[in-house]
Amino acid sequence: MIGFIKHQVKTFGLIELFKGLAVTGKYFFKKKITVRYPEEKTPLSPRFRGHHALRRYANGEERCIACKLCEAVCPANAITIEAEEREDGSRRTTRYDIDMFKCIYCGFCEEACPVDAVVETRVFEYEFHQRGENIMTKDKLLAFGDKHEAQIAADRAADAKYR
Amino acid sequence: MVKVEINGQVVEAREGDMLIDVADSASISIPRFCYHKKLSIAANCRMCLVDVEGAWKAVPACATPVTDGMKVNTRSPKAIAAQKAVMEFLLINHPLDCPICDQGGECELQDVAMDYGDDVSQYSEAKRIVGDRNVGSLIQTDMTRCIHCTRCVRFGQEIAGLKELGATGRSEWMEIGTYIEKSIDSELSGNMIDLCPVGALTNKPFRYKARSWELKAHPTVAPHDSIGSNIFVHTRNGEVMRVVPRENEAINETWIADRDRFSCEALHSADRLTQPKVKAEGHWSSMDWSLALQVTVEKLKPYLANPEQIAILLSPNSTLEEVYLVKKLANALGINNIEHRLRQQDFSADQYGINQTLAMRLADVEALDSVLVIGGHLRKDLPLLNNRLRKAQLNGCEVNVVNPSGLDYNLGIEHQVDTLSLVSELASILKAANELVDQDNQVELAAVTFNATHTAIANSLIKGKKSALMLGLIAQADVHYSKILQLASQLAQTTGSSFSDLPAFSNTVGANLILASNSADLTNWLANGKKVFINVGIEPEFDCLLADQALRAMQQAELVINLTAFDSVSQQNYADIMLPIAIFAENAGTLVNIQQDWQSFKLFASAKGEAKPAWKVLRVLGNMFDLEGFDYTNTAEVLAEIKALNLSIKQPDYQCNLDLSVITPTPSSLVPCYSVDGMVRRSPALQATPDAQLTNPLN
Amino acid sequence: MPEIRNYTLNFGPQHPSAHGVLRLVLELDGETVVRSDPHIGLLHRGTEKLAEYKPYNQSIGYMDRLDYVSMMSNEHAYVMAIEKMLGLEVPERAQYIRVMFDEITRILNHLMWLGAHALDIGAMTVFLYAFREREDLMDCYEAVSGARMHATYYRPGGVYRDLPDTMAKYQSSKWHQGRDLDKLNETREGSLLDFIEAFTQRFPGYVDEYETLLTDNRIWKQRTVDIAIVSPERALQLGFTGPMLRGSGIAWDLRKKQPYEVYDKLDFDIPVGKTGDSYDRYLVRVAEMRESNKIIKQCVEWLKNNPGPVIAADHKVTPPSREDAKTNMEALIHHFKLFTEGFILPAGEAYSAVEHPKGEFGIYMVSDGANKPYRLKVRAPGFPHLAALDEMAKGHMIADVVTIIGTQDIVFGEIDR
Repeated sequence: MIGFIKHQVKTFGLIELFKGLAVTGKYFFKKKITVRYPEEKTPLSPRFRGHHALRRYANGEERCIACKLCEAVCPANAITIEAEEREDGSRRTTRYDIDMFKCIYCGFCEEACPVDAVVETRVFEYEFHQRGENIMTKDKLLAFGDKHEAQIAADRAADAKYR
Repeated sequence: MVKVEINGQVVEAREGDMLIDVADSASISIPRFCYHKKLSIAANCRMCLVDVEGAWKAVPACATPVTDGMKVNTRSPKAIAAQKAVMEFLLINHPLDCPICDQGGECELQDVAMDYGDDVSQYSEAKRIVGDRNVGSLIQTDMTRCIHCTRCVRFGQEIAGLKELGATGRSEWMEIGTYIEKSIDSELSGNMIDLCPVGALTNKPFRYKARSWELKAHPTVAPHDSIGSNIFVHTRNGEVMRVVPRENEAINETWIADRDRFSCEALHSADRLTQPKVKAEGHWSSMDWSLALQVTVEKLKPYLANPEQIAILLSPNSTLEEVYLVKKLANALGINNIEHRLRQQDFSADQYGINQTLAMRLADVEALDSVLVIGGHLRKDLPLLNNRLRKAQLNGCEVNVVNPSGLDYNLGIEHQVDTLSLVSELASILKAANELVDQDNQVELAAVTFNATHTAIANSLIKGKKSALMLGLIAQADVHYSKILQLASQLAQTTGSSFSDLPAFSNTVGANLILASNSADLTNWLANGKKVFINVGIEPEFDCLLADQALRAMQQAELVINLTAFDSVSQQNYADIMLPIAIFAENAGTLVNIQQDWQSFKLFASAKGEAKPAWKVLRVLGNMFDLEGFDYTNTAEVLAEIKALNLSIKQPDYQCNLDLSVITPTPSSLVPCYSVDGMVRRSPALQATPDAQLTNPLN
Repeated sequence: MPEIRNYTLNFGPQHPSAHGVLRLVLELDGETVVRSDPHIGLLHRGTEKLAEYKPYNQSIGYMDRLDYVSMMSNEHAYVMAIEKMLGLEVPERAQYIRVMFDEITRILNHLMWLGAHALDIGAMTVFLYAFREREDLMDCYEAVSGARMHATYYRPGGVYRDLPDTMAKYQSSKWHQGRDLDKLNETREGSLLDFIEAFTQRFPGYVDEYETLLTDNRIWKQRTVDIAIVSPERALQLGFTGPMLRGSGIAWDLRKKQPYEVYDKLDFDIPVGKTGDSYDRYLVRVAEMRESNKIIKQCVEWLKNNPGPVIAADHKVTPPSREDAKTNMEALIHHFKLFTEGFILPAGEAYSAVEHPKGEFGIYMVSDGANKPYRLKVRAPGFPHLAALDEMAKGHMIADVVTIIGTQDIVFGEIDR
C-alpha cells in the first residue's frame, strides 16, 4: 500500500525529474568552469607537443648535425633532410623540412635527436594562409626556435630527469 | 671432407678450411671485423671467438682450421661472454660519432654491437683520439674511429699492390696511416671504403650526403672500361648518390676501380646539357626536342645525296642498342662512315678482321704462367685485369712488358723493355722466338736484331704452359698498329701463347661486333675533313687520339651534330646542333665486356633536364626520315633484333704489310686514366687525384 | 491497389548520431526497422597494411588512432603483444602506471560514451558535464605524455617517461585571479598523482550527478529499457565482449579471467547486468566508472610509495636514457640503431588482448624475424557489435536505432582501421 502510494507520488510528482533539475539548477548558479579562450589558456605541461623548432647552442651554432635520425623515425615521413659538408668541414643540413600536415605530433623526432636540435614547443596556435606554407623549412624552424628558446630551454630542463 | 658440428648442426667441409668459412657456407653467423674472404687472415680483432669443445680458451674461427669431429658452439656462455668482452674492448676508445659518421646505418660495428655486444658500457674514462690525415680527394679519414682491423693495410699490400697504409705505434696508441704526409694513390683505393668496417675510411665526395636507409640499390654495369665491373648504383628519389661494387666472381670479384666508383659525380655536373640547342648565325638558341630534331633532319637532308661526305663518330662506351641504331639509321641513309675506335690511327689491319677481346676468361688470367704485355698500361687502363695479372704474378707467373718508359707497375716485372718503338722490340722478340723454336723468319725480319732480353722473353713465352700476349691501348694507338698486330699474332703462334688485343672501353667489343663490316679510316676523315660530322657521346677534341686534327676537322666541317651529355665552350664553337643525351644510370642498354659477357641494365635515374637516351633520339630520327623499322618501344626489342643477327667474332688472319724499314718511334700516346671519357673528366674528386694531374685536357 | 514497399533510408554517413562515419541503410516499414545494413569502410586508413612497412615503435601512434576515444588501451594491447613475443619483463611500476592509465582511459571512454549516448537520446546536459571530467583526465594525459589525446606513451618494456611531480597550473587572467585562481589550482599544487587522487575523490560525486540525471529518469528509461535485448547465449554467439556481454549477464572480464599486468593484485568488482537491454548496459558502464575509480585510487597509493624504473632496462629494445646516449658508446649505438632500424622480433606469432573499455581489444601479430611485423591484425571489439546491429535493431523504430548504435559504443576508428 505504501509502495503503491509512493509509486503514484513518484510518477505524478515527477520526483526524479525535479531531482535532476536540482542538479542542473545548482550549476546554474555556480561559477562557470569555462576557460575563456583565447584570453585564457588551459595549462600546458613542459612535455606538451606542439609546433616544432630547431635549436641552437648558446654560442649561436645550430645544433642540428644532419644525422637524419629524426627523418628515419618519423612515422609519417614528415621530415625531409638533405645534407652537405659546410665550408668549415662540419656536417650540416642544406634542407630540413617538416610537413606540418603529415606530422602527427608524436614527439619521436624529439626523442630521437641526439643533440636536442629538433624539439616540439608549447605553441599550438598557428595557421597557414597560402598553399605550401605547411612545409616548415629550416630557416622558419630556426627562427621559431630562436623566438621561443627561453621557453624551450626551461621545458627541457624541467623534463630532463625523466628522459 | 670432414664433418663438423656447429651449434648442433652437422656440416660437411674440406679439411683445412677455416671454421669461419664453413660456418658462413652453412649460414651460421659468426661476427667478425678483420676477416675478409679476399684478404689474408689476421685474427687481430678477436670478434670471431667461438667455443670449440676441447679447447681451453675460445678460439678465433677465422684462424682455426676444421678437423673431423670438431664440435663448435657459437652461442655457448663462453662464446657469448667472449663476444661481449671483445665488443666492449673495441668500443672503449671508439668516439661517440654515430650521428655524424657516414657509416651509421651500414656500420659493421653498430650491427655487431647490437647483435653480440652488451647494451651498457662500464667505461667511464677518457678516450684516446687520433689526428686525421688528408690522404687524397677520394677517401676521407676519421682515424679516431679506426678499430685497427688492418683490412685496409692488407688490401693495400695484397690487392692494390702498393703498401700505402701501415700501422705505427702500439696498443691503443696504434695508428693506421701513411706515416709521412702522402695521399693514397692506388687506382683501386676506393675499395678500402667498402672494406673499412667502421667510419674511419669513407667516401669523400659522398660525405654527409645521404644515409644508407634512404638509398635504393640498382644493379648495373660500370661504363668506363671493358671489364664491365658489376656495380650497384645507389639512388635517392631518382638521384644518383654513389656507386658500390656488386659481387661477381667471374668479372670483378668484389672490387671496382676508383674510376668506376667516383665518376658518378659527373651526372650532376654543371656542364650537363639540358636542352637541345641549335646554332643559327653564330647564336645558340634552345628549343624543344621536336623542333630540334626537325632542324636536324632538315639540315642533314641536303648532304644525304653525297653520303660519303658524312662521318659518324661514336663513343666506344655507347650501348649495343645505340651502336646498332646508329648503324641501322646510317646505312638506311646511305652513310657508311661510322667509327668508334677513336684512339686508333692505323686501320689497315681492318681488312683481315677485328678481334679485340680477351682470349680467355678473366678468372683464367690468374692461372697464366707467362705474360707479355705490349703497349699497355694495364694498371691504369684496365685495373681489374691488372689485378688478376698481379695475382698470377704472385703465384709465379713471369710478367714481361714492352712499354714506353715512366709507367708505374704494382707487380713484379721480370723484363721491362722501355721503348718508343713497339714494332722494333716486338720484331726482335719474334726473331728471338723463331730462333728458339728453329722456325724460319719472314724476309722482312732479315735486318732485325735481338738481344738477351728478347731471347729471355721469348723463352719464357715458349716455356710457359699457359702463356699470353696482351696488346694494350698504347699499342692500339700506335701509327704502326697493324704491324704490331701481325707481329704479335705471329709471336703468339710461334710461342704457343694466346693472343689478346685488349679492348679498352666498356663497349669496344660490342661496337666491334656490330660495326665490323663498316669501312673506316678515321685518320683520313680527320686529316682531310668531312662536310658533316655526327658525334655521338664524345667530344672529339678530347676523345680522339689525333685531338688537334679532330678539332680542326670539326671546325672546318659544314655541319656538326653533337649528341652529347655535356656542354662546353669548345663544342659550342664548332658544333651546329647539340642534342642532350642521358648517360649511365639514366640510360638502359647492353654492354659487351672484355670476355664477351653481354650485360644488360635498366635505367633508374631521372635524366637531367630534357636529356633523352641516345637510342630514343636515334629511333625518332629514324621515324622522321621515314625509315622502316624504327618503332621500338624499349631497348629489349632492339636487343632482340641484335641477338637475331647472331654476330660473332672470327679470329683474324693477319697478313699485314711488315715493311720494317720505315719504322719511326712514336711518342707515347698515354691517355691519363682519368681523362678517358666525358664523365670521368667531369668528376671533381677524380680530377683532384695525382693521376689526373697528368694533362687533363679540361684542366 | 499500389504495392506497398519498405522504405529504404540512408542513415548517415553525415549524421550527428551515426557515430563517426557510419552509413546505415535502413529498410523501414513505417517507423519500424525491418532490416539495417551497416556500410563501413569510410574511415579505412590502411592501419594494418601501414604497420607492415614501419618498425614496431612507429606503429604505436597508429594504435592510438584506432579507437580514438580510448587511446592508451589500444597502445596497451599492441605493446603487450610485442612484449609477449620478446619475452620482455615489464617493471612493476610501469605495470601500475599502465593499469592506472588504462582505467583513466576507461573513464574517458565511458564519459565520452555517456555524453554522446545521452546527447543522441536527447539529454544534452550530461554531455557537457561528462566533458568537464574528461578535461581533467586529458590534463593527466597531457602531463604525462605531452598530448591530450593521442599520447604514444606506452612502449614495449614499459612506458616512455615517469609521472611528473609537478602539474601545470592555470595562469592568472582577467576572469580568474587571486583566490579564484588559487581555487582552480588547488588540485595542481602537488604531483600528477596528487592531481589524480583529488580527481578520484571528486569523481564518485560526479557519477552520482549523472545517475541523478539519467538513471531514474523516466524519459531515459523509456528510451533504453527493453531496447535491443540480447540474450546471454546470443551475445556469446555473436562475439560480444565487454559491457555488451556483461550487460547480458555473462560475468566475463579479461581483467579477472585472464589477468594481465597487476590486475590480479587490485581489488575491484565487475558489474554484470540482468536483462541485456540498453538500460542494463548503461548501468554496467556507469558502475564500471565507479570501479575504475577504485582501481585508480589503489594504483595512486602504490605509485606514491614505490618509485622505480618505468621501462625495461634491456637496451636492445628500449632506448637508453638521453644522458647515457650522450656519454656512453654502447648506449649511443643502441640509441642510433633503435631509432633508425628498430628492434627485431624473433619469428613467431602472438595474440594479446586487453579489457578495453569497449570489450576485448586484441592484437594478433605475426613476425618473420624482421624489424617490422609481417602481419598485424587488430581485433576490434566494436566490429562484432556493429555486425549484430541488424539483429539488435529488428523490430525497433528509427529512434531506437540511435539508442542501439549508442549502446554498442561504436567508434569508427577501430571498426574501419
